[in-house]
Amino acid sequence: MTLLVLAAVALGAGLAAILLAGERRTLALAIGLIGSLVVLALALAMPDTESLIIGGVGMISTPVVRAMAVAWSASLAVLGLLEVAVGGRPTVVGPSLVGLAVAGLALATRDPASSMAALAAGGVAGVVVPGLAGWLDGPDMPSRLPTTSRGTLAILGSGLLGLAVIAWGASAAGPLGGGGLLPVDPAAQLSLGLALLAIVAACAIRTGLIPLHVWAARFMEGVSPLAIPAAFAWGSAAFVLVALDWSQVALGPAAAGDAERWLIVIAAMASVVLGGLAAMVHDDIEHVLGYSILQDAGVAVLAFASLDPGVVAAARNWLVASATVKTALAAWASVVRTTYGGHRLDDLGGWARHSPALGVAFAGILVAAIGLPSMALFQARTDLVSSAMPGFGQVVAIIIAAMPAIYLGRIAVAGLAPVSPAVAAGLSGRPRWTGGRAVGWSEGPLTQAIRAIPTELRANRAPLMALGVLALAVMALLTATGGAGG
Amino acid sequence: MNPALIAIVLAIGAGAVVAVSTRDGAAAAIGLAIALVGSALLGDPLPSAAVLGVRVVAALLVATLIRSSMRTGPRQPSPVGWPSEALLATAGAVAGLGIALGLASLAAAGGVPVGQPGIGEPGPGGPVGPGDTVVTTMALITAAGTSLLAIGVAPLLHGRQGPRRAIGLVLVTQAVLLLRIGIAGPAVELEEIARAALLVVVGATGAALARATAAAAHRLDEGEELPDADAVEESPHVLLAR
Repeated sequence: MTLLVLAAVALGAGLAAILLAGERRTLALAIGLIGSLVVLALALAMPDTESLIIGGVGMISTPVVRAMAVAWSASLAVLGLLEVAVGGRPTVVGPSLVGLAVAGLALATRDPASSMAALAAGGVAGVVVPGLAGWLDGPDMPSRLPTTSRGTLAILGSGLLGLAVIAWGASAAGPLGGGGLLPVDPAAQLSLGLALLAIVAACAIRTGLIPLHVWAARFMEGVSPLAIPAAFAWGSAAFVLVALDWSQVALGPAAAGDAERWLIVIAAMASVVLGGLAAMVHDDIEHVLGYSILQDAGVAVLAFASLDPGVVAAARNWLVASATVKTALAAWASVVRTTYGGHRLDDLGGWARHSPALGVAFAGILVAAIGLPSMALFQARTDLVSSAMPGFGQVVAIIIAAMPAIYLGRIAVAGLAPVSPAVAAGLSGRPRWTGGRAVGWSEGPLTQAIRAIPTELRANRAPLMALGVLALAVMALLTATGGAGG
Repeated sequence: MNPALIAIVLAIGAGAVVAVSTRDGAAAAIGLAIALVGSALLGDPLPSAAVLGVRVVAALLVATLIRSSMRTGPRQPSPVGWPSEALLATAGAVAGLGIALGLASLAAAGGVPVGQPGIGEPGPGGPVGPGDTVVTTMALITAAGTSLLAIGVAPLLHGRQGPRRAIGLVLVTQAVLLLRIGIAGPAVELEEIARAALLVVVGATGAALARATAAAAHRLDEGEELPDADAVEESPHVLLAR
């Protein structure tokens, strides 16, 4: 089965990249990059539906699994190249490949307990590896170690809570009566509702919804922006998708009574509104990234308020599309920081004038984040909000769609402002040719040109990174338009 | 009621108590290994040889990983001593037994058919009915799980960073995995592999964080060293101050 081969390659390459990252940086990056390209090829070759029985459990590869694998591996290949250019300790490709393997297997497995255990195990790599690397790079900030520890506890805690809820659901004494027909009475209804709230609580911990966002916010401050998507965009997406699938099948729409529905809506909208407001007022682009990811998670959790099959399909589109968009935004933030050294809007005046390619990429990200009415992302957001809040959900959905326009629009306006001294002092965002002559060599023109490639690459580091971000922005637009096939 | 299972539950509790209360790293690792291997063997009938092998190998690997982190870490005995930890473990086990028996009664009252895997499974005397107090295999597994949870949660949430917190993390994870079996019945083979992988990852994570904590403490100690007296005499700051 193609998915198994894909998972094996991703897992092997990811683990090798993680283990070699400390001593052999170049080799680790090369393994990660090649691994992500092979995984992309396998994902593209994967059929839309494929099934297999392993260990007594069915594994079914669906269009959502394929779409997630394609989008994630394609993003990862570009992130790998950006990690080469940005420098520093490799913390992106290795954990991301491990997360991709685990997420693909978890989404394909028909046994939710296996999926939840696998996601808890795989999600840890996305937190521990970048967290410890951030601590090693900043030994004068002792708070990074407790932050990593808290992040690990949150990832594992959410997985263990999910496992406990799934076990309770499968128990003979649980709300589902061991799989038999359950008499419809208030006690059974209450049990179903409690099970739903417990699984939503697990999702809230995992995604860092307000007020459980402190560990996520602290963690994001201490790691490279390139490492954030694996843990918080893609990892959270896989977790929420598994939880949604289980809730839809095991609990059903009957579990979402009035009280449960309002609790879920209030918890989700708190993150949507407050996350959006925080993104609008913060000047730090990395904080904007973090709070926008939080807002996306809040929108996804609204699907638990109804568990309608159509809404769950919308949640799949939303999760995959928003993860791709936020991966592009994370790459943009990392490239801006590497190019200009700053990450506050006050220091980034005129960044788009200085690097037109970055400006075009950001425009694509802006459009993908807001979405146009014909796009799958826009429709998914509208469906999720409308199903949770019938009657006035359409208006709320438009307000939510306007929020990225504001917090990303501020950044765009800063980009068009006069070029600030910090931006002017940064690497040039425009491509240039140094002459094609390698220092110390006096051979023929072709040999000269080949030997000059590393020099040209180094001289054009900023424009090449901007091209990488542009590629991610195009992927974000495509995924926002087409969705995940959910 | 299988006396071998009861002995295993007692061994799990004893091993966990030793793991969290001793100041000797080797003894803690051995105690942890006993608790984890005992958890792997807790079942009647035993799972297939392959599943058993996966469980035992994972348990020993986790114990080895935790042991490796203790070589450089600080000694962290239990602040309340082993008698209190043993009492906690006993209380946890009794609570787990009570929960399991209560759930079995609930399932029986709900008309769960005889032989249903999980809470409602029959004991040696016959099917479980309302008011019966037969201690089943699942009840013992639940008791072992709650016992580990009672011992492990304190070092995990309130302990200082280091090997003891790593042991707490492993014990709490194993506790939840045992409770999953005790409440919902045996797992399929794929889930056994996922559970073993989760345990190993938790052990590796705990060990990595414990080692990082030890390294951070070592750096802090180096940074706080008092300057040499001769160096202070010749310091330009001192000369300028004169």
